[in-house]
Amino acid sequence: MTARLRIAGGTVHDPANGIDGEVRDICIDDGRIVASLPDDAPTLDARGMIVMAGGVDIHSHLASSSCNHARRLLPEEHSAEPVTAPALVDGASLPRSGTGGTVPTTFTSGYRYAGLGYTTVFDAAVAPVMARHSHAELGDTPCVDGGFFALMGNDEYLLRQIAAGERERARDYAAWLLGSTGAYAIKIVNPGGIEAWKSGQRNLNGLDEVLTTHGVTPRAILETLTDAANHLRLPHPVHIHCNNLGQPGNVAVTLATMQALAGRRAHFTHVQFHSYGGPGWSSGAAPIIEYVNTHPELSIDVGQVMFGSATTITADGPVEYLLHKSSGRKWVNIDIELETGCGIVPFLYKDKAAVNALQWAVGLELFLLSRDPWRVVLSTDHPNGGSFLSYPALIQLLMDRSVRDEKLKQVNPKLLGGSALADGLTREYTLNEIAIITRAGPARLLGLRQKGHLGPGADADVTVFARNADIAQMFATPRYVIKGGSLVVEEGQLRRAPVGRRLHVRPGYDNALLPDLKRYFDAYSTVAFENYPVQGIPDEPIAV
Amino acid sequence: MSVAHQVEHVTCLGCGCGCDDISVTVQDGRIVDAIPACPVGRAWFGDGSVPWEVLQAGKPATLERALIEAASILTKPRASLLVYLAPDITSRAQRAAVALADFLGAAVDTATSDPAVGGLLAAQRRGRATATLGEIRNRADVLLFWGVDPNRRYPRFLSRYALEPAGTQIPNGRAGRFVIAVNIGADKGPAEADHTITLEPSEEIAALSLMRAAVLDHPARDQSPNLASAIGLIGRLTSARYAVLVHDAEPTDLPRNPLRVEGLIALAQALNGPTRAALSSLRAGGNRPGAESVLTWQTGYPFAVDHSRGYPRYMPGDRGLDRLARGAFTAALVVGSPVLAGEAAAALGGIETVAIGPGASRAPFPTRVAIDTGTAGIHEGGTAYRMDEVPLSLRPPLTGQRSAVQTLEALLEAVRTKRPGSSA
Repeated sequence: MTARLRIAGGTVHDPANGIDGEVRDICIDDGRIVASLPDDAPTLDARGMIVMAGGVDIHSHLASSSCNHARRLLPEEHSAEPVTAPALVDGASLPRSGTGGTVPTTFTSGYRYAGLGYTTVFDAAVAPVMARHSHAELGDTPCVDGGFFALMGNDEYLLRQIAAGERERARDYAAWLLGSTGAYAIKIVNPGGIEAWKSGQRNLNGLDEVLTTHGVTPRAILETLTDAANHLRLPHPVHIHCNNLGQPGNVAVTLATMQALAGRRAHFTHVQFHSYGGPGWSSGAAPIIEYVNTHPELSIDVGQVMFGSATTITADGPVEYLLHKSSGRKWVNIDIELETGCGIVPFLYKDKAAVNALQWAVGLELFLLSRDPWRVVLSTDHPNGGSFLSYPALIQLLMDRSVRDEKLKQVNPKLLGGSALADGLTREYTLNEIAIITRAGPARLLGLRQKGHLGPGADADVTVFARNADIAQMFATPRYVIKGGSLVVEEGQLRRAPVGRRLHVRPGYDNALLPDLKRYFDAYSTVAFENYPVQGIPDEPIAV
Repeated sequence: MSVAHQVEHVTCLGCGCGCDDISVTVQDGRIVDAIPACPVGRAWFGDGSVPWEVLQAGKPATLERALIEAASILTKPRASLLVYLAPDITSRAQRAAVALADFLGAAVDTATSDPAVGGLLAAQRRGRATATLGEIRNRADVLLFWGVDPNRRYPRFLSRYALEPAGTQIPNGRAGRFVIAVNIGADKGPAEADHTITLEPSEEIAALSLMRAAVLDHPARDQSPNLASAIGLIGRLTSARYAVLVHDAEPTDLPRNPLRVEGLIALAQALNGPTRAALSSLRAGGNRPGAESVLTWQTGYPFAVDHSRGYPRYMPGDRGLDRLARGAFTAALVVGSPVLAGEAAAALGGIETVAIGPGASRAPFPTRVAIDTGTAGIHEGGTAYRMDEVPLSLRPPLTGQRSAVQTLEALLEAVRTKRPGSSA
């Protein structure tokens, strides 16, 4: 660890502290940002460079059993992109080789995130029974602080409590599950729809369609878990993947979900995949972003589609079956006991494919029509809409209208008639807005007070970019990256790979839950109640 | 004699079932009972006694000297190395062993059997439709056993997961399930099946193909009686709410058509059109799926990985043990029980071999260094993976003198001291 370091003379973009392009020093001592340092402290000359906090990825898939099933499915991608071990300088951690592709190996993922200036990443979908696996993968993902969200929107015990009107018991269970698995937040994927897929009902298409096995609706699941997260004062509210992902006309259920939770804090994820008009394909971005703009209790990440190879990995099993049938690509489905599902289909987004071009446009419209960058933050739903390695190219599309317009001329225009993007959106994001949607915004939405900014007391996670007229090039190759005070990237090269901190919560609950829960485990679970909680989770939980 | 004590909720790794409901009785440092372990589980636990020696060229040595010697062997210039992962180690030990292989530029091979490899490769071509064992327990209303009776080698599979227990969607347990046995020659399904058909081995692949065609609404005509009986199963499978096909992914005494697994994968996937279906692949014990899982997240490939060029290469057609038998390696690190036999053992005896694991000092081949450690789940806690790749907690009933993971991490430090910097 670099105990003390002055990053001197850079142009600082620290929107959380109201700093927009001011030349000033950033001082680091013992892993934290401090107000000042003695004059003889070591200095990193950042004159002429741009200084931001380390990036924070609010929604990625990088460390889960589902990711590992996807890795296993893709030897062709791995053999095309072998990765040798980096030349690390300090000997503290063993440099590791790996393979790339859309789902890189764990060490390679950590190195590559750091190489983009990202220092905090969350895996957005972990089956609780597989939590042990995610902790192991995160342990092998260096350079980034990380955690995961626990899948609950199709959980058998939870559905039973909702059906019985036992919402407090449901909340206690959610709290127990978060603490037992070392998760950070509650995730809902296709509420009720995965259980419908597993039980033969195939899917649920509307908020009030009844899941026949349990007599429960998506609306009740959403309300219960949203209220649970807010009542438990979790740092991040419920993280929602709506019903009907990827279907034309799904804008209706997305808006209905937002309206159902009106006035309640909630985060909607990869909203691009949920913003399509119908019954044919069209952009539904405008009504969605208008609703978000006028409802400050909501936040979203976009889930931008980027043209090229992707791998779709989701708990949303029914969607992956449909994608397999429509694309003809190979398909993995894993039904996960009592909790959720997993589907995987490799995919190629083509700019000449009309639906893919529409998806690309919808994502950009959400960004460009957003009036509050603090609540509309960047994601590609890695690797679903594209790899996290495409973030720099996405930033360029947002900051440079000429690049965007040029690309727009190349894509299939068939479904873009009447879309805001095709009609001409002149907005260009500023560097400060980029700092918000990639750093300050996600950190605030995640409730990470020490992340996403450069004020005294913040974690010393800093990215320094050399100015470059090519925005994509600039964001792809930071000159320096500092993680927890450690100089991870120096002169554009990965030099250190510290172990990241585990971000998790352990909210309290009423112990009266436990006898009933044990009876349930004894009756239906194949993992003993006593063996279910993960032991030895690194780092203390975040206070709630 | 000391008073016996119980250790509850112990996880058994005797087969891939991963039963974690075992109550182990310990007295005087020995396991004296394991309930309700099956015969396979009892054999796995034994009395828990293992040797605790450290040997250098067959003679007792200190751990420190043995590690220095092992590091010297593994870091020799121009060495060509194999790291072999036996099944009975925790995933943390597997992670440490693959880290060593990466640093040393070694090839890695595992106890993944050839039939299991066939399944992994077929799934890489096609994907797969599967489920964790609890889904089978809670949902399967039609079960089809393809040439396997789990009672033989996975004795609690039927009572814990597949047949007898009541489930969330199967409140009446066995009475709520229809069981089909497909005998493939002498590979017979369970005797308690509700319906049994028999196919000659020569008919098997055609049957799987025609069954899939029937699911896809392409009924075949003019088939032999046996094939017609196979196609006749489709009505029962497609009218299930949740159909589960079960096969044995491990080798048996009988030769097996290697195309079987791909036929079953394709059939299970196709059944998800008219209904829901999953293929359950029975795997042997230890922590075999753990090795495949760790290798996948660290290298991108589930088995047969070679680091000799400074990055992971996939060599599924030329595995480490095959290359070992051909004399491709100058040294080897065997991690876990050194139970290799035949050509592999002979080849290990002919090169410089380091063995670290349970019973390393009793290896059936000469070793330069042998360091005994505990066994996963008996002396060592951590994680092991069930046959369905669910990670399980291990509660060791006995205390070991030396853990595999600590020994491997110490060895890694020793080799890094011998050869600073990366292998790249």
